Amino acid sequence: MSQGKILAGFVAPHPPHLVYAENPPQNEPRSEGGWEPLRWAYEKARKSIEELKPDVLLVHSPHWITTVGHHFLGVERLSGKSVDPIFPNLFRFAFDLNVDVDLAEACCGEAQALGLTAKMMRNPNFRVDYGTITTLHMVRPQWDIPVVGISANNSPYYLTLDEGVEEMERLGEATRRAIEKSGKRAVLLASNTFSHYHFHEEPEIPEDMSREHPQSYKGYKWDMRMIELMRRGEIREVMRLFPEWVEEAFAEVKSGAFPWMISAMEYPTTPAELHGYGTVIGTGNAVMEWRLAA
Amino acid sequence: MPVVSAFLMPGNPLPFLRQDNPPWAPLATAAKAAGEALRASRPDVLLIYSTQWFAVLDELWQARPHSTGVHVDENWYDYGDLQMDLRADVSLAQACVAGANAAGHRSKAVDYEGFPIDSGTIVANAFLNPGGTIPTVVAANNLYHDFATTEALGRVAAEQADLQGKRAAVIAVGGLSAGYFDKDIDIAEDRIVDEQSDAANRALLAAMEQGGADRLRAGLDDFAAAAKTDMGMKHLAWLLGGVGDFKNAHVHGYGSTYGAGAAVVEFKLA
Repeated sequence: MSQGKILAGFVAPHPPHLVYAENPPQNEPRSEGGWEPLRWAYEKARKSIEELKPDVLLVHSPHWITTVGHHFLGVERLSGKSVDPIFPNLFRFAFDLNVDVDLAEACCGEAQALGLTAKMMRNPNFRVDYGTITTLHMVRPQWDIPVVGISANNSPYYLTLDEGVEEMERLGEATRRAIEKSGKRAVLLASNTFSHYHFHEEPEIPEDMSREHPQSYKGYKWDMRMIELMRRGEIREVMRLFPEWVEEAFAEVKSGAFPWMISAMEYPTTPAELHGYGTVIGTGNAVMEWRLAA
Repeated sequence: MPVVSAFLMPGNPLPFLRQDNPPWAPLATAAKAAGEALRASRPDVLLIYSTQWFAVLDELWQARPHSTGVHVDENWYDYGDLQMDLRADVSLAQACVAGANAAGHRSKAVDYEGFPIDSGTIVANAFLNPGGTIPTVVAANNLYHDFATTEALGRVAAEQADLQGKRAAVIAVGGLSAGYFDKDIDIAEDRIVDEQSDAANRALLAAMEQGGADRLRAGLDDFAAAAKTDMGMKHLAWLLGGVGDFKNAHVHGYGSTYGAGAAVVEFKLA
């Protein structure tokens, strides 16, 4: 068996508005569209995934929050209806996904070997969170590639940010080791928004784009600064500034997906490709790709 | 008197799911005793606020006439499934939406099949209201609302119940100290995660027992300085908004839920 590898990593944010705007058959609510530039950005990500032909997609979601350790979906097939408790008017999605349980178990084992608390989620009635579903749908609406779903352990919030980020980086290392041993071709998905300042009231028509713009100029400026660094391949500088970014832009990357992915990719100096940036209820969302291998 | 009883109930589902576990059994027994006290107060409706139902845009109020189905907690899925069985007092929920909007707290009703009622609401309702026979009004924890706003929402809910001539029980669903064990433990040896949190919990419960909204508010300030709190203790803001004041309280039970503090408290109304 040849050594497995990480083909690419994507920042792939999860506002359910993007699924709502697309009107896929799995989602009950109907929209008039909206957030087109971000959805066009995801079209580019979809083309990349099609080219890469990965065996598995691994997604780390801030909306599966766990207090005791890092959890992995561990049921071969999960299906049901995921109603977003925050945006139930936008997201009521019939999901049906196949889990790469072998790789999930391997990731879990490697995480434990690196001293992390990690466990497998084996309950077949588990409702997959909307972050995981939105990211997966936006990059691969065919739902034909097995997935590894990873929870967001609460450590960046419960411990200090540095301690939490260190845990996520170890989780990334564990993920890389498991992928390499598996022989599989993997794509990583960090399901994170950047600046997370947002409006607190919803427009009458949620997709009314005349109401959409960055909620915070400061947050927007931070996002542009960090995206530019990523585009130049200066990932160490991104990570050096990470605590300031989290603090000043209220960035959702705090929840761990971004450091997990960057660590798994061994802090790539490859310039990232920005597929697109846009706001959703005022938050900053970038769809970005680090292509590591063909 | 629109509000006929008021209770603090744990939001963590562990005492409900594993009532045989020695550290959690007293909390389950206490919650059942609270259920008896609640039913003795003969409420027409339960006004519930749970720290575990998050909202970020607007305030959300549950208006699904009957929420059913299986719910699996995202953390405690190993311990079993939860059965949703929650009836909404739809007319009162709609009145709360209108009342909150009129008070400047933008609100919406939600009525969707498959909506994931949060674990805290499910277990509190199951303990207090087995069979879900008493209708409820459930309000979300908007993460951007402060204590005062949440108190105002509790007040709106009680006022609207009064306007409809309904006897209301106010239910605050949430924990005490929010520090937990972040590693696997032997659940048979669960305890409050540290002595300082334990002391802070006991001091807060003592303030409740002594009675008076002002004393409790002062106790909450001390509590926040001494321990990690569950969502700024906004569930108690809801309770205070609903009851206005109280004479004293009876602590039916106090214990740990994976290191975090939890209590079942019955408030004696002024």
